[in-house]
Amino acid sequence: MNYFQLFGIEASFDVDLQNLSSNYQTLQKTVHPDKFAHASAQEQRIAVQKSAQINDAYQTLKQPLLRAEYILIQRGVDMPNEQHSFGDTSFLMHQMELREMLEDVKSAGDVDAALLEVQRVLSSEYLQLTQLMRAQISENNSASNGAACDNLRKLKFYQKLNVEVDRLEDALFDD
Amino acid sequence: MAYSEKVLDHYENPRNVGSMDKNDPSVATGMVGAPACGDVMKLQLKISKDGIIEDAKFKTYGCGSAIASSSLVTEWVKGKSIEEAGKIKNTDIAEELALPPVKIHCSILAEDAIKAAIEDYKSKQGK
Repeated sequence: MNYFQLFGIEASFDVDLQNLSSNYQTLQKTVHPDKFAHASAQEQRIAVQKSAQINDAYQTLKQPLLRAEYILIQRGVDMPNEQHSFGDTSFLMHQMELREMLEDVKSAGDVDAALLEVQRVLSSEYLQLTQLMRAQISENNSASNGAACDNLRKLKFYQKLNVEVDRLEDALFDD
Repeated sequence: MAYSEKVLDHYENPRNVGSMDKNDPSVATGMVGAPACGDVMKLQLKISKDGIIEDAKFKTYGCGSAIASSSLVTEWVKGKSIEEAGKIKNTDIAEELALPPVKIHCSILAEDAIKAAIEDYKSKQGK
């Protein structure tokens, strides 16, 4: 049973998060330790395993990039090794510019405005790339799956940048 | 996780940080990235007419090991021919910096950056 089947939802990139969350809670109740207080050791163990599986499934489907990766792996798409270097020069040049832009925030005249601008650029590019990947995932042929995989790798760079932005925001306004 | 002394040394005093004009025909630029950790590395080599690397600069956004790996590589490639530079292996980098297994990919990234720069140089020469 795959993660989508576990939650009784359609295997698609578009997931209703509210529905997912309520299905998750319902499922977790069925394997709650209280229910197995008087059960055999084996039944208790199975319930714990089931609970862990439900949790993994929920964490995966909840996050768009993990969900996309899961869908592509389920389709048998050959995902490049995580550690494998990425060599799209113009994309990486742009990533470097974005990182420079973020680096300059600290020394900007108006720090708030500079940070907001970085966030605006990042979220708009992230959204655009996500929409592209979403369309490629729903197209579902070998070329589109490969392209989706490529865009997923690109999105991971944005994810990392967003972590950096959050870190900077904490450092700037946490006094 | 503790960094080795060599990593710390390169991290705190990175060698050859900077940029060169990527449109200069004698400048080779290698850009590589690692999706897993979001690291981005740029290695630039200034190459003489007889194929000797006269200068090297890098700019890396990433962890200490990624910065140290690229800093070390700029030191190593200077004075080498592009053929010799192309033979630098990630294992040499990892060994020199005493990188732990989880950071081996940083040395792979640095090796790939050299290869990407050499590719860029060859394609520029081919024009």
